[in-house]
Amino acid sequence: MNHYLALVPKYLAAHRKKTRLVIISVAISVALITGVFSMLDVFFQFEKIQVIHDYGNYHIAVLDASEQETQTINSRIDVQNSGTWRTLGSARLNGVTCELGALDQQFAGNLNVELIQGHYPTDRNEIMLEQWAAQSRQLNLVIGDHVQLSFPDGLEKEFRVSGLYRDLGVMKAQGIPGVFLSVNGTHDLQRAEKSIFLIEFKNGVNIRKAEQEIKADLGITEDRIDRNNHLLALMGQSDHNAVLDFYKVGAVLFALVLIAGVLMIYNTFNISVMERVRQFGMLRCIGTSQTQIKKLVRREGLAITLRAIPIGVLAGMVMTLICCAILKYYNHSLFGTIPLLNFSLVGISAGIGIGFLTVLIASFLPARKAARVSPINAVTGSNEIKTPDQKKPGWLMRRFKVEIAMGINNAWQTRRTFWLMASSIAISIILFMGFQVFVDFLYTGLKTTKPYTPDLSLTSAQGLPSDLSARLGNVEGVDRVYGRMFAHVEATFEADKLTDSYKESINRIETKENGLLVPLERSWLISYDKQQMKWARSDLIDGVFTEEQLNQNQGIIAVALNQRNNASTETANWQVGDKVYLETRDGTKEFTVVGVLRSVPFNDSEFNLATFITSEKLFTEITGQNAYDCLDLQISGQNQEKTVQGIKSLLSEDITFLDARQRNAEVNQAFITMAVFIYGFLAVIALISIINIFNTMSTSVVAKTRYLGLMRAIGMSWRQLCRMVLAESATYSLTGSVIGCFLGVVLQRFLINSWLVSFHVLWHFPLGQLIGIAIFISVITVLSVIGPLKKTKKMAVAEVVQAF
Amino acid sequence: MEILRIDQLSKTYGSGETKVEALKEASFSVSRGEFVSIVGQSGAGKSTLLHLIGGLDTPTAGRVIIDGMDIYTLLEEELAVFRRRSIGFIFQAYNLVPELNVEENMVLPLLLDYKKPDGRFIDELLDILGLTDRKHHLPGQLSGGQQQRVAIGRALATRPTMILADEPTGNLDSKNSREVMNLLRLSVERFNQTLLMITHNQNYATLADRVFQVEDGLVRELGGQ
Repeated sequence: MNHYLALVPKYLAAHRKKTRLVIISVAISVALITGVFSMLDVFFQFEKIQVIHDYGNYHIAVLDASEQETQTINSRIDVQNSGTWRTLGSARLNGVTCELGALDQQFAGNLNVELIQGHYPTDRNEIMLEQWAAQSRQLNLVIGDHVQLSFPDGLEKEFRVSGLYRDLGVMKAQGIPGVFLSVNGTHDLQRAEKSIFLIEFKNGVNIRKAEQEIKADLGITEDRIDRNNHLLALMGQSDHNAVLDFYKVGAVLFALVLIAGVLMIYNTFNISVMERVRQFGMLRCIGTSQTQIKKLVRREGLAITLRAIPIGVLAGMVMTLICCAILKYYNHSLFGTIPLLNFSLVGISAGIGIGFLTVLIASFLPARKAARVSPINAVTGSNEIKTPDQKKPGWLMRRFKVEIAMGINNAWQTRRTFWLMASSIAISIILFMGFQVFVDFLYTGLKTTKPYTPDLSLTSAQGLPSDLSARLGNVEGVDRVYGRMFAHVEATFEADKLTDSYKESINRIETKENGLLVPLERSWLISYDKQQMKWARSDLIDGVFTEEQLNQNQGIIAVALNQRNNASTETANWQVGDKVYLETRDGTKEFTVVGVLRSVPFNDSEFNLATFITSEKLFTEITGQNAYDCLDLQISGQNQEKTVQGIKSLLSEDITFLDARQRNAEVNQAFITMAVFIYGFLAVIALISIINIFNTMSTSVVAKTRYLGLMRAIGMSWRQLCRMVLAESATYSLTGSVIGCFLGVVLQRFLINSWLVSFHVLWHFPLGQLIGIAIFISVITVLSVIGPLKKTKKMAVAEVVQAF
Repeated sequence: MEILRIDQLSKTYGSGETKVEALKEASFSVSRGEFVSIVGQSGAGKSTLLHLIGGLDTPTAGRVIIDGMDIYTLLEEELAVFRRRSIGFIFQAYNLVPELNVEENMVLPLLLDYKKPDGRFIDELLDILGLTDRKHHLPGQLSGGQQQRVAIGRALATRPTMILADEPTGNLDSKNSREVMNLLRLSVERFNQTLLMITHNQNYATLADRVFQVEDGLVRELGGQ
C-alpha cells in the first residue's frame, strides 16, 4: 500500500456483498439508460425500414413538376434519387376495373414496386401488372399476352404484358389491379390525373433547408409540395404538428429515464456513505482532511462505476438484442438486412457517458456529507445508531404494536434516506405509467388489425343473396361471416356542429331558419349487426352502442373521424344527444346520437358529409334496403387456400371477391415493429424497477444488520424483528407508491391531453394499472426483505453486533 | 520546554435548561516528554478535555496552544493536517480500519500526508510492539491487546509531538493492560514524546509524571511521581 487511496479497493474487496449491491444498483441504472436509448436507436432503424416499406422511400414531392423543375432538382448535389409518378385514374383491363399509373424505372425500388417476372414497361404499348391480378379468374394473363385497355372517355388501346410485379396489399384487398404503363406510354395518352415528382435526398441533408431552397429557386408554392411525414418524423426532420407533439412526449419520458438513472445511483451512494459515518469519523481522527475524504468517496464511486458500466452496457445491449431477434424472426424478409447484434453507438455512449456523469454528480453530495462527518463520531459512536429525536413516536406506539411503530419510526427517522427510498420507488412507477401512454397510442393511434378485421370480403352492386351468409358459414375453415348494408342518405343537423376545416373546404355553408344545415353532400349510413357493435365498443369515445339502445331511442352512432373520399376527416364535432334528421322512405325523421365512435374501418370513395351507423332494423326502415352490400369473412389459419376455393365456388359472377390477408399482414407487421419496442421499453422499465426496489430494500436491511442485532440482544423476538423491518420497508413502499401513482396519473393525463389528442388517444383513469402496481410493489417489498432477514437470522447475535 | 498550554478552556453543550458545562475554564501547561494522566468519574469531562486538545471538537471559549500554535485559529483543512502530523490518538475501542492489515493501519496517517513510510522505523515499531509476526494480519484476526498495540503503533508512526490516549486499557484484561502501559511508557521515553492519557485505573495513573483530576468540568492537578 503506497497511497491512502489504496484503501478504496481494499474496502471494496473486504465488503464484497455490499460492493456487489452497489455495483448492481449502478449497473441497472446504466442498463436502463443504455437499454432504453439503444432500443430507441434501433427502433428508428427498424421503423425506418417499416415506414419505407409502407409509405415509400422519398422525402418530399412536387406536384405537377415541369420538365425544367425536374431537371433542376435532379442536378442538385444533395439529391440521391428522384422520379415521376403519374396516376391516370381508372380504366378497364379486359373488362376488369383497374387503376393506371406510371413510374420512372429508377424510382420503382423507392416505392417498393418489385418486378418479379418479365421486364419493366419501357415501350409505349407495354404494361406491368400485379401477380395476383394476372392470375385472377377474370384476367388470367401471362407475360407476352395482349390486353385491351378501355378508358372512361371511350378510347380503347391494345397493350402487351411485359412484366409482373409483387402484389400490393391495399390493391389486392380492394380487388382493383394496379397497372403500370411505361412513362412514354403516358405521354401518348395525355390524360395524367396527377403527376408527382418524388425526391429522395442523400443522408445527412437538412431536408427542410433543401426544400426551402427548391421552393425559392424554382418559385414553387407550398400547395405544390407534399412530404413523407412518416419518414421525415423518424429522421427528426418533420415540422408536422402531430409529429412535434409526439417528439415532446418522447423527450419528457426520456428525460425521466435520465432522472431515474441519476436518482437510483445517488440513492445507492448515499446509503453506502451514510452507513459508514463511523469509519469516516475515525479517518478524520487520524488526520484525514475533508478533501481527502471526498477523494476517497469519489474514488470509490469511480471504482464501482468502472465495474458497473460494462455490466450495465452489456445488459442494455442484451435487451436490444432481444428486440432485434424478435423482429428479425417475425419478419425476416423486411428486416433481414439489420444485423442481430446491433451496436448502438448512441445507446452505449449514453450509458457510459451518463453513467460516469451520474456517478460524479451522485457521489459529489455523499462525498461532501462524508467529509463533514465529525471526528468525534468515531470516538463516541454517537451517529452510529440513531436515537429518536425530539418527536417521539408516541402516537404510533398508541396505535400500533411496538415493533410496527418502531419500524415506521425508523423509516421516518432518517428523512433523507426516507425520501430517497420513496422517490426511488415513485420514479419507477412514474416511468412505468409514463411509458404506458405509448401503449395507448399504439392501440388507438396506429392503424392496426382489430378483432373485426375481415380476411375476405364479398361485395355486389346488386346486393348479396340473403341466404349467402348462412351458406358461407357452413364452408369448412370459415370462422365468422358478418354483413353490412351501406347507403348514402340525405342528413342534416345543426350547422354549428361543423368543424372549421370542413367549412373552409366547402366555402359556402347555408343554414335554414331553425339553424339546421342545408346539406350539400349526402351522408354515409352503415348497418351493424350485434357482433360488429360489440367489436366497435372498444373504439367508442362517448355514449353507448347496443342494438337495444339504437332501436328503442331511434338512435344512431356518429363517427368522429369521418371517412370522406378515402381520407379521414373530421367534418363535425359530435356529442351524445345531438339530433340528426334523416330523409327516410316515410319522410324526414329525427334521430338521436346515442354514441360517438372514433372511426370505422371502411373507406367511402364519395365526398360525404358525415358517417353514421345504426342497427339493421333501423337501416331497413330508413332506406328500405334489406340485402347486404358486403359480407366479411374471417377464416382460420390452416388450409386457407382450400377454404378460399370453397367460398369462391359459392359465388356468382356478379359478386366481387376481395382478399385482404396480405394487407392485414402488412398492417400487423407495422404494428408489431412498434409494439416490440414499446413493450420492450415497458419491460425494461418494469424489470429495472423491480431490481431497483429489491436492491434498495436489501441494502437498507444489510445496512441495519448491527442495529437489528442489538434489537435481538435486548430481547426482540425474530417475529417482531421481521415485523419491524417489514413495517419500515412498507413505509417506504407505501409513500413511494402513493407519490408515484399520483404523479404517474398526472403525467399520463398531461402527456395525453397535451400532445396525443391529435392521435385520438383518450385519457382514462388508469384504475387497472394502479391496482396492478399496488399488488406488484407489495409483493416485491416482502420478497426483497426476506432474503437479507434470513441471513441476519443465521448470524449469532454477538456476531451481528460486532459485524461493523 | 512547554509543548502544550491550555488557556481558560471551556466547553458548554446545549442551552437553557439542558445546558451542560462539560469543561470550566481549564488552564494548565505540559512540557515536552511529560507523561500526564487524567482521572475522574464518568461524565466528569475528561474526554471533552482530550477531544478539545486533539482538535476533534470546538471549545466554547479559551485556547489550546500546541508547540506555540493556537490550533483553533487553524482552518478545518489545516487542522486536519496538524492533527495527522502532531497528534497521535489511541482510543479505548482501537478504531482500526478493518479492511487494512496491521502494517497498513500503522502507515495510513503517513500515506494521508503523502509521505513514504520509513520501512526501518515501522519495522522497529512493530518489533517494539511485538507485532512483527502479525504485520499482515487484519484487525479481526487479532486479540484486543494486539489491536490496541496496532493503535499505539499507528499513533507513533508519524512521530507526533503528542499522544492522546482515551482509556487505552479500558477494553483489556490486566495482563494486556500492563503490557500496553509498559509499551506506551517505553515508546514515549524512547521517542521523547508527550503523552496525555485518560484512565480509570489508579495504578496506571500513578505511573505518570503528573496527574490531573477532572470533576464537574473543573481540572485540578493532583501532583505526580
